[in-house]
Amino acid sequence: MSDTHINIQDFNTYYSGHQALKNISVDIPKNQITAIIGPSGCGKSTLLKCMNRLIDLTDGATCSGKILIDGEDIFDKKTDITDIRKKMGLLAQKPTPLPMSIYENVAYGPRIHGTRKKSKLDAVVEKYLTMVGLWEEVKDRLDSPASKLSIGQQQRLCLARGLAVEPEIILCDEPTSALDPLSSQHIEEQLLRLKKDYTIVIVTHNIHQAMRLADYVVHLYLGELVEHGLASEVFENPKEERTRAYIDGTFFTDLAIDKEINLKGNVCPYNFVYAKQALHTLEKDDVLRIIVDYPTAVTEVPRGMETDGHNVIRVKQINESDWEIIIQKK
Amino acid sequence: MNSRKLKDKISSRLMLSATVFACLLFFVMLLGLFGKASPILSVVPIDDLLFSKDWSPMAGKFGFYPFIVGTFWVTGLAVIIAVPISLLSSIYLSEYAGNRLRETVKPLIDLLAGIPSVVYGLWGVLVVVPFIKNTLAPILGAETIGGYSVLAGGIVLSIMVFPVIISITTEVLKTVSTDLREVSLSVGATQWQTIKYVVLRKSSPGIFAAIVLGFSRAFGETMAVLMVVGNVAKIPSSVFDPAYPMPALIANTYGEMMSLPFYDSVIMLAALFLLLVVLIFNVLARMVLVKMERSVV
Ligand SMILES: Nc1ncnc2c1ncn2[C@@H]1O[C@H](COP(=O)(O)OP(=O)(O)OP(=O)(O)O)[C@@H](O)[C@H]1O
Ligand SMILES: [Mg+2]
Repeated sequence: MSDTHINIQDFNTYYSGHQALKNISVDIPKNQITAIIGPSGCGKSTLLKCMNRLIDLTDGATCSGKILIDGEDIFDKKTDITDIRKKMGLLAQKPTPLPMSIYENVAYGPRIHGTRKKSKLDAVVEKYLTMVGLWEEVKDRLDSPASKLSIGQQQRLCLARGLAVEPEIILCDEPTSALDPLSSQHIEEQLLRLKKDYTIVIVTHNIHQAMRLADYVVHLYLGELVEHGLASEVFENPKEERTRAYIDGTFFTDLAIDKEINLKGNVCPYNFVYAKQALHTLEKDDVLRIIVDYPTAVTEVPRGMETDGHNVIRVKQINESDWEIIIQKK
Repeated sequence: MNSRKLKDKISSRLMLSATVFACLLFFVMLLGLFGKASPILSVVPIDDLLFSKDWSPMAGKFGFYPFIVGTFWVTGLAVIIAVPISLLSSIYLSEYAGNRLRETVKPLIDLLAGIPSVVYGLWGVLVVVPFIKNTLAPILGAETIGGYSVLAGGIVLSIMVFPVIISITTEVLKTVSTDLREVSLSVGATQWQTIKYVVLRKSSPGIFAAIVLGFSRAFGETMAVLMVVGNVAKIPSSVFDPAYPMPALIANTYGEMMSLPFYDSVIMLAALFLLLVVLIFNVLARMVLVKMERSVV
């Protein structure tokens, strides 16, 4: 097996008391693509945010355990976090261009790190825009605002911006979920091409994407590490039943629904109140399925239930107007 | 028609009339002031009034220039003092301070914004004016008449303005998305670089709007300024000189010197002028704002 690049040891994360990651220990191999898979809310983004310590921005989040990058403990007080972050490009779920021109977006990182010379910056901008296949499309309008680009182009620009500081690792949090199929394919191709020089960690909901890209797979479930290993092994012959279920897309069929309520036509806060009443009648660990069609309820009911300490297992759109929310009583 | 629809109709009409009323009021005031000011305008040409330095109502000389200059000095100074302080504290509150501190300080700042201006004026007379007279002016070797000066007006005014600016700016900074900050931090920028190049840039239209709002308040603020600024109708030559801003002129002399010919009309003109300046200022500011909003998307 190849070298370890990111070494995670007994890692825990708490959001003001709520434990989002439980005792994660895993090694992420160098110059390969590692996919972190698992259902919504299982802690994938949290794990990624810990790797470059963006978790620091979250009020009330605390971590314990170690994450070593090239053997350096990134949570150590003596570590200069900007150096660590410089080693890692980030590709977010939503393409997020900085509020400046296309050129400035790519030049942003190098500028921050002290490159002043125009000729040098020009070269960097061209190099990385070419690398992500955007140069031909934008070379005549480098000075126009980055927000004028299409969403797919913006995501490639973000990739170029991350690459421009010459990182060793690229962290991607569902980088294609906001993109059309063609743009997604573009990004996937880039990532495959980049892996010979970079260690890539990609969070994805899309099991097929994980199969197409990953060399190594980490499966999280409710904050726990269920399984990790070579993609070929995990996908073809998972050791854990939960992994098999997730891969087969049947993850929740084994979750017996104990009660189901239909709240279509209700608005908030009634949705919330009815859901609460329904949970009240259930035993601990019982599972409630709620159907709603009121948009606010889709975010507010799960949030409220989580605040009450229950476990939101899934929030999913099931048809044009309706969403299902699955909650486990705690 | 059922009663729900009727209610809907009535309430929308009611709101429309309220809006129309508020807008009309502005034009009624404008016309009223103009009507009252026209006698003096028909006798003395407007540029004589605006640019003459000679203010001797007894002799029938009504030069507004010292008041115009006084207004701009005091307001300008207030902004120069208030803007840096408010920006720094807004940045601190929204970017560095923890939730707890922010939640404690915010109500206090909002409270400052609600204190009646006469209280600020008193504080100016009791604290700022003596401070300038006894400490600041002697240290800097400047001359002052008892400390009542442009500087005193500027300081008092800036303290009245900065709660407004801080309060709005803090909100504006908080609307900048976390994603954007993460992007900047993730390429290895420090927090300060992120604030400087991304957060402030993204929120510059909002911050500008906050400053304009503060400025508008400063322009017309009367009571507190009037109490500390000295009220001498002369063009100040330094910030330690007294001045006589326009709102103070109106408040001080309206009703007192009405027996003088044209005086009433002159004061109305001053009010009209003040109204127009604030109007133009706001329109210009809005234009700049729209432009800025386009440039930071
Ligand atoms: N800022 C926060 N404050 C409190 N709890 C949070 C915060 N961010 C995430 N959580 C909680 O931590 C858990 C893990 O969240 P995380 O965002 O890591 O999940 P995820 O696997 O990325 O989900 P998704 O696939 O939906 O993006 C969830 O239960 C979530 O509600
Ligand atoms: Mg996520």
